[in-house]
Amino acid sequence: MNNFRLIVLFFFVVLSVNAQKTVRYDLYVRDTIVNFTGKPKRAIAVNGQIPMPTLTFTEGDIAEIYVHNELEEDTSLHWHGLFLPNKEDGVPNLTQMPIKPHTIHKYTFPIIQNGTHWYHSHTELQEQIGMYGSFVLNKRANDPTFRKGIDDLPTVPVILSEWTDMDPNNVHRLLHNASDWFAIQKGTTQSYSEAIKAGHFKTKVTNEWKRMNAMDVSDVYYDKFLINGKSESQLSQFKSGDKVRLRVSNGGASTNFWLTYAGGKITVVANDGSDVEPVEVDRLLIAASETYDVVVIIPADKTAYEFMATSEDRTKSSSLYIGNGIKQLVDPLPKLKYFEGMKMMNDMMKMNGDLDDMGMSMSLNQMDMNVVMYPEITGEAKGKSDKKMTGDDYNSNKLSDITTLNYAMLKSPMKTTLPKDVPVKELRFELTGNMNRYVWSLDNKVVSETDKILIKKGENVRIVLHNGSMMRHPMHLHGHDFRLLNGQGDYAPLKNVVDIMPMETDTLEFNANVDGDWFFHCHILYHMMSGMGRIFSYENQPPNPLITNPKLAQRKLFADDRMFHFMAENDFATNGNDGEAMYANTRWSIGTEWRLGYNDMHGYEVETHIGRYIGKMQWLMPFVGFDWRYRRMGIDEHEQNLFGQADTKDNRAVFSAGVNYTLPLLIIAQAEIFTDGNLRLQFERKDIPVSKRLRMSLMWNTDKEYMAGLRYIVRRNFGITTHYDSDMGVGFGMSLNY
Amino acid sequence: MNSLKKIMMVALTMLSITKIDAQIKNAKTEVVKIYGNCGMCKSKIEKAGSLKNIAQVSWDKETKMATLSYDASKTNQEEILKRIALAGYDSDVFLAPDKAYSSLDECCQYDREAKVPVKADAKTDAIGMTVVNPSSVSESQKANELQSVFESYFLLKDALIKGEGKLAAENSQKLLTAITAVKMETLSMDVHMVWMKVLNDLTADSKNISATQDIKKQREIFKSLSKNSYELIKVSKFSEPVYYEYCPMADANWLSKESVIKNPYYGSQMLSCGKVVETIK
Repeated sequence: MNNFRLIVLFFFVVLSVNAQKTVRYDLYVRDTIVNFTGKPKRAIAVNGQIPMPTLTFTEGDIAEIYVHNELEEDTSLHWHGLFLPNKEDGVPNLTQMPIKPHTIHKYTFPIIQNGTHWYHSHTELQEQIGMYGSFVLNKRANDPTFRKGIDDLPTVPVILSEWTDMDPNNVHRLLHNASDWFAIQKGTTQSYSEAIKAGHFKTKVTNEWKRMNAMDVSDVYYDKFLINGKSESQLSQFKSGDKVRLRVSNGGASTNFWLTYAGGKITVVANDGSDVEPVEVDRLLIAASETYDVVVIIPADKTAYEFMATSEDRTKSSSLYIGNGIKQLVDPLPKLKYFEGMKMMNDMMKMNGDLDDMGMSMSLNQMDMNVVMYPEITGEAKGKSDKKMTGDDYNSNKLSDITTLNYAMLKSPMKTTLPKDVPVKELRFELTGNMNRYVWSLDNKVVSETDKILIKKGENVRIVLHNGSMMRHPMHLHGHDFRLLNGQGDYAPLKNVVDIMPMETDTLEFNANVDGDWFFHCHILYHMMSGMGRIFSYENQPPNPLITNPKLAQRKLFADDRMFHFMAENDFATNGNDGEAMYANTRWSIGTEWRLGYNDMHGYEVETHIGRYIGKMQWLMPFVGFDWRYRRMGIDEHEQNLFGQADTKDNRAVFSAGVNYTLPLLIIAQAEIFTDGNLRLQFERKDIPVSKRLRMSLMWNTDKEYMAGLRYIVRRNFGITTHYDSDMGVGFGMSLNY
Repeated sequence: MNSLKKIMMVALTMLSITKIDAQIKNAKTEVVKIYGNCGMCKSKIEKAGSLKNIAQVSWDKETKMATLSYDASKTNQEEILKRIALAGYDSDVFLAPDKAYSSLDECCQYDREAKVPVKADAKTDAIGMTVVNPSSVSESQKANELQSVFESYFLLKDALIKGEGKLAAENSQKLLTAITAVKMETLSMDVHMVWMKVLNDLTADSKNISATQDIKKQREIFKSLSKNSYELIKVSKFSEPVYYEYCPMADANWLSKESVIKNPYYGSQMLSCGKVVETIK
């Protein structure tokens, strides 16, 4: 009893000391011009800086953050990994309305946790151009979980990010249009001639036979990678023997980073803001939006040791030198062996587009299929080996001396079990995707195609995720930490992001303890904007006072993944103009192709199709269309088509209905019936990657038309072409594309 | 005639200057030290540092000085020196990664003057800190007496994991040296007893492993060497936990500082075969 009284008294004292401490930040969001590459580009700075300023609080504080939107567009700020009332979560059109230009919005919430977190804009693609920053919550000095030798070390917030000179809206559009410009910039086209040179011709044919385009571990080419906004910087305040705790957040929009250190092992002490038992590794991969606290030691005098963040595709890196003096570099990560990866993908891909894990039940990043591409683990590329791989061949920790962190190694220092005797709701999601059309979804449905998922306050929610797509996805849950079931029993680590690799299955669970509409989504920015997510909504919750018109808010939220993307190209050739334009979104496509001759003999024709993609792989597209053409006395005269029907090539204005189907080798078969009763079958393959920059196209149809063309890609929207067309003959020209 | 020669000279110099100008705009020239050895180093350094139209590096083998001329609007000294360091060559700004240095040809492996030796790591510091009373001091000294024996054993084991017979022979030689250096009289009674028992076998086994480079033979002998080392480490203890591991395929045990299985009897063929049977603390 006495004890109890003491405890009450103690709490009272703590509360009275801490409760009133309000920490205020004012954030001024402004347009700015930056110059990372030699070219001035638009970005968004907060209080004049990129990354945004580090916000620091102590557990028990009350945060008051005033956002002054001085942009000409909407904005918002999301506090990543924080437990807070739903209306402070910062997801526009879901937990609040967007912060309008030239207005001030106040976020306020009590700080009821500690650890390394970060914050970023949740509005459109603003995160890509500067709106990310560290959010550090210190433990109270008398916290019972205070760890001597860890929590009292000098700490440095470290936020990783990337920079592209391209407007992110354009990046997003190019991704949806299957442009391989990023692959050309990275040198990862994986064309036929490169395949032959590497002794992998068969691999490439099999890959296309299984209807895959060249794959990479990441989607976007970046000009620079940054640590705290710089590609290189130094922490010269530290000296030999010092231990330094780095609070690393990955604020990259779509990049996972490898972390390596020149001064020896890296000790991981926390993940996603929650403490873990210290674990020593040689390297770790920090997925987009994850945070890790790591401790490094400076082993020698007068030396600064390189702490390096390398993008997962290993195109570039960023360095932080820790210590004072001569800079000891770390081994750079060698280039990926792409054709080995392609071969691995071929083995895993079934003809119907599903992935086959060949009986290896994979989870928690323990087996990394990409290991076949890592020269430091599996040796330099050497021709072909036909050995069948088994589970252990993908376990990098068993294959070499290099210890790589995986989720199974994370253990919470205290029990993290959920309340017992409450109902359990189990949900299963398959992560689905279609690289060719850049559609990313859960169970083949994007956010706008689904209802909110209702959960009850008090129940335990268990989510089983299986990644059936070909990319890895860091799945993030707002407002809650979940336990990642990783074999550590009661000590399962607490996380709010789980990076899940292709073919993996992971299970996570959390107690539903705070009302609201909470977003659960892939944190690759361009996947999220494509609709890869769901919304968890508490049943019978009070309405959100910030959402005055829920219908309007939902329509605006859904507009993100319903957005149409436009592309167009035209070949200005000696024998006419050839081109197409397309306007497409997740399911629909409106496309027009044209051929315009310079005289009546060559004639002109326009074909327009409006179609809807069907199925997970979107190989099937039924469409309706309109075909209009005219010419006089063409050079390739036929009385009849292959089916003995009258040829109407010289004068035709008809409606049509038909269907596109993608065949192996990425050949598009098209069957189309016109209102005049004519039938046409057509086979077309576009953009065969002959060499790094050379593309070939082939076409033939039952109207006895055929075409063969070559295009050399000079720049992103400019190419040199030559083609032969049965209607128009030989032509040379240049193509412009948008 | 003389004047013609002069004119020619001037013209030539002019030409060469304009040529450099054509190559690198806004050229800035600096002279820095780069550590290296031989003619081969020269070509490697220059190739690593130079970039067409942006940077030109010329290194003198005798003075170890490099002349950098570069377009200051496009690059800087740091970038050039970093590229050279990544090729394996230290400068006064950067130290090459160890891997890059060690993969240089033998003739290129210069003395790394710029590198400061790494101090004893924090772990041993921590052990020093925990010393509280005289008896535990003598305890730790006793352990240290055999520490180098075990450390050499672990090096030998690592060589066997990698399947490098030559390295294994060298490490076994080190082990032999460590064994002969042990001052028996400083060992405590129980450790002394075990030491007397295993000494002959330990000596013979390590001598035999060092005498051959045949990895198969070495692995065979390593079985009994491991068994004796186990008996020894069980009484004498080691400064950190040691795992006694067992491979059913070889029907043999070994000692390791890591709980992760890396099999010295099969190397890369069966690297992860085996399990931990005992943890010695």
